[in-house]
Amino acid sequence: MCGIIGCAGRDSETLDILVHGLSKLEYRGYDSAGVALAGDGLDVCKTAGEIDDLRAVLAERSPAGSVGVGHTRWSTHGPPTDENAHPHLDCNRDVAVVHNGIIENYQQLRDDLSTAGHEFRSDTDTEVVPHLIEDALADGADPEDAVRAAIGRLEGSYAVSVVLSGVDRIFAARNDSPLVLGIDEDSEARSASEQASGDEPRAAYYLASDVPAFRDHTDRVVYLADGEFVVAGADGYRVTTLDGGPVEKTEDTVDWDPEETGKSGYDHYMLKEIHEQPRALRQCFRGRVDELAGQVDLADLSDLSPRGIHLVACGTSYHAAVYAARLFQQAGIPAQAFLASEYATSTPPIGDALVVGVTQSGETADTLSALREARRRGARTLAVTNTVGSTVARECDHAMYIRAGPEIGVAATKTFSSQIAALNLLALAITSVGDAREVISGLRDLPGAVQEILDTSTAREIAETYRDAESYFFIGRGLHYPVALEGALKLKEITYKHAEGFAAGELKHGPLALVTGETPVFAVVTGDDEQATKTVGNVKEVEARDAPVVAVTDGASDVERYADHVLEVPDTHRRVAAVVANVQLQLVAYHTADMLGRSIDKPRNLAKSVTVE
Amino acid sequence: MSVSTAVVLAAGEGTRLRPLTRNRPKPMLPAANRPILEHVFDALVDAGMDELVCVVGYKHDRVQDHFGPSYRDVPVEYVRQHKQLGSGHALLQARTAVDGPPVVVNGDRLIEASMVEAVTEAFERHGPAATLAVLEHPDAGQYGAVVLQNDELTEIVEKPTSGEYRLINAGIYAFDETIFDEIADTPRSSGELALTDTIARLAEREQVRGTRCEGMWVDATYPWDLLTVARAVLARGRVGVSQRDDGVWVHDDARVHDAAILRPPVVVGADSELGPGAVVGPDTALGYNVTIGANVTVERTVLGADARVDAGSILVDTVTGQDVDVGAGSVVPGGRADVRVGTEVFEDQRLGAVLADRVTAGGDVSFDPGTLVGPSAHLHTGAHAGGQIPDGAEVTR
Repeated sequence: MCGIIGCAGRDSETLDILVHGLSKLEYRGYDSAGVALAGDGLDVCKTAGEIDDLRAVLAERSPAGSVGVGHTRWSTHGPPTDENAHPHLDCNRDVAVVHNGIIENYQQLRDDLSTAGHEFRSDTDTEVVPHLIEDALADGADPEDAVRAAIGRLEGSYAVSVVLSGVDRIFAARNDSPLVLGIDEDSEARSASEQASGDEPRAAYYLASDVPAFRDHTDRVVYLADGEFVVAGADGYRVTTLDGGPVEKTEDTVDWDPEETGKSGYDHYMLKEIHEQPRALRQCFRGRVDELAGQVDLADLSDLSPRGIHLVACGTSYHAAVYAARLFQQAGIPAQAFLASEYATSTPPIGDALVVGVTQSGETADTLSALREARRRGARTLAVTNTVGSTVARECDHAMYIRAGPEIGVAATKTFSSQIAALNLLALAITSVGDAREVISGLRDLPGAVQEILDTSTAREIAETYRDAESYFFIGRGLHYPVALEGALKLKEITYKHAEGFAAGELKHGPLALVTGETPVFAVVTGDDEQATKTVGNVKEVEARDAPVVAVTDGASDVERYADHVLEVPDTHRRVAAVVANVQLQLVAYHTADMLGRSIDKPRNLAKSVTVE
Repeated sequence: MSVSTAVVLAAGEGTRLRPLTRNRPKPMLPAANRPILEHVFDALVDAGMDELVCVVGYKHDRVQDHFGPSYRDVPVEYVRQHKQLGSGHALLQARTAVDGPPVVVNGDRLIEASMVEAVTEAFERHGPAATLAVLEHPDAGQYGAVVLQNDELTEIVEKPTSGEYRLINAGIYAFDETIFDEIADTPRSSGELALTDTIARLAEREQVRGTRCEGMWVDATYPWDLLTVARAVLARGRVGVSQRDDGVWVHDDARVHDAAILRPPVVVGADSELGPGAVVGPDTALGYNVTIGANVTVERTVLGADARVDAGSILVDTVTGQDVDVGAGSVVPGGRADVRVGTEVFEDQRLGAVLADRVTAGGDVSFDPGTLVGPSAHLHTGAHAGGQIPDGAEVTR
């Protein structure tokens, strides 16, 4: 899990562009970072730590070159040290490589290279690549063929980008890891000084793990596919297969605003993104629902008519999948949610079920792997994702976008709500049982209901009260069970406190042993039906063990009688209540982490989208 | 000295607009279908400003959530005024965010780009310490009145009681960077720093220029003024939504039933839905995600985002906040009434009702003209509402 950036055609601006790109990719990893610039020579600068640490090192020396690559790392092989930071070099320090992914045959390659006399400086899998290129160059290959030859020997997942001393081009290739080419052939975008100097307007090209890395420079992109190889220089770019066969690529235009990734006056992206939920939800519904007619329009997705559904996902997306499985079940379709990493390696019988992958980034390696396994077995696949042009959207038979806009905070917030909104629409579109008007009306209430939470929440006081607890529990039933799981995950991720979510009825079968007067229990209870009554029973169980209880409730049941604190949610449709209850828990986690001084947007050891298995 | 940074003062609540300002500051109240502040930003961007600094305070998240980090590709920086201690104090908060001479405007009044341009041009050409826009206004006594002599400002007085004034301060200024020191040096009056006090001090030193302007300048002081504001915006078509017919603007993502009637001028916001037989307009603005049921009549009314009006209801001369839910067969007949705001009574105002955020009315609820309903109040089926109804109240039949 890492982010890579490359740049060709920007001459003296190369370093600034690389560092700026890395700062935009920092969500993908931030335990070490580095850059390499190639011109007449090769200049490399790298360090353990965040991008700001790299900036500090760069302040003392300014590497220059006409092309360059950069990398921000999240450790998989070897600890975060200066040596393990990318770019990695060959023995002669003529070849610099940045890489995202895992090279599965690296041990074999490394042993062979060591035997042949190559010296390794790091513990990483990546370092085999520059040495392989060095060998090919020594055999007389030209730079492009040498890079192709080296990449041809790799097994596993990779997006790699390479620069070489004395070569004013950048080489890159991908397999199972994301890589996007940005194209800036508009001379107006060139800096004024260059135009004034009368130079021929030339083109600039960018290569990155994700579009935000270069979105400030261009909105024209080419999404690269597995097995494709790119060469880019100031005079143009070329996409081929790894063997050199021609590939026709079409350019896309990304329409979102680069400024959308600023913090809009908030201290943290997470809080900004929590506040963006009403808008994100409206975008999700836009043009898709007709309340007065009681209809949902999802174009071709309405014709899927699956007999069964397997949802595969990881982390927060998995919680949305658990929620969705219940929706489909309620509509009479056998449905189950699976952890993608398990599904990929212990695949259950699929039969003629539709396999739905839920992933915010669309690049989550575990989810991609599960979907590939499903496809290998002949299953139809559907991607539910936030990222247009992502690998999952291209690989699946169908894609549905949740339209939440860019999410930068590592802890997913608005994308969870939007995933649930989108999955509700999907359930309505493909099940068409009875009159959907009541549900659609409830969904249209959702943005306003979330705004009500944002306007009135007392989560900050709750966080203040319980900030010093060692352990937190979350319970809920039915659609509120995934909310309990998500509430606990959010707290874990950003406060580093122990937190667990349980199905309310499961508490007494074990976890109750952990409940004491020191463990706050958050209970999500809305409505006053049988589910609510039973959950209130479970609340009494913990209250009897002296645990402080925070009820997240619409006040319909009598749970408040057994609760020490109440986080109110509006009286809404049951499906909607789960989302608004979750917003309360997002705020509790946020404020707790803020009071504890945690690194909220970049919690330790975590990365936004995990593109390794 | 060219001016390209604008500071927008948007930190105040606007207490006389309660209960509509319970969850948002006055600049975020609707001018037809868009917040007042959006019109202010439009004027500034149209006048060539390439950097906006927005001073926020009361319910600041509403401003930040709406605009995000940029507006029409112009970056917006937010500066917090933690306590609302006057307009001068608000501007002072922007000191570190401003580089070069700023344009300063109030975020809670509708202005036009031409006024901003007039001020910046005069400032750039003549360059005294301060230049401000001046307008002729029939009710000069309601606002900050000014006197000019050969374009030099000689007097500035807030809400003068004598009727001799004809010109008002439009609240659009250009300053050189020394303004921040001038504000800091201005003595506080009852704990507050008013920008006009600083301007009065500069005027004593003959350092303030007034530039006469014309055009739309609309201020909302009381809730019913939002109906006037909406009319002004609709008359000029400043709705930011595609035009369907003369005076009829319908967002591309709105759904209007073939058997619904739109009477101009009227605007229907994104994601809104109108059922069969609905008659909407004239002088009516629907925000986004508004649902209008079958056979509903809406006239001279501003409906905030997420409002739902169920079948057969009638709303006339009504202003709502967000997420208001009006049950089937409810009636706001509209008309004139004496409206009580706090302890003051305003006679003979045309106002059907004001429904603040998240008011819910069951079916068959009727409203006396001039009714003000506080946020989250719930009016039960068949209830009759009149006068002032407090926040969260339950009204039964």
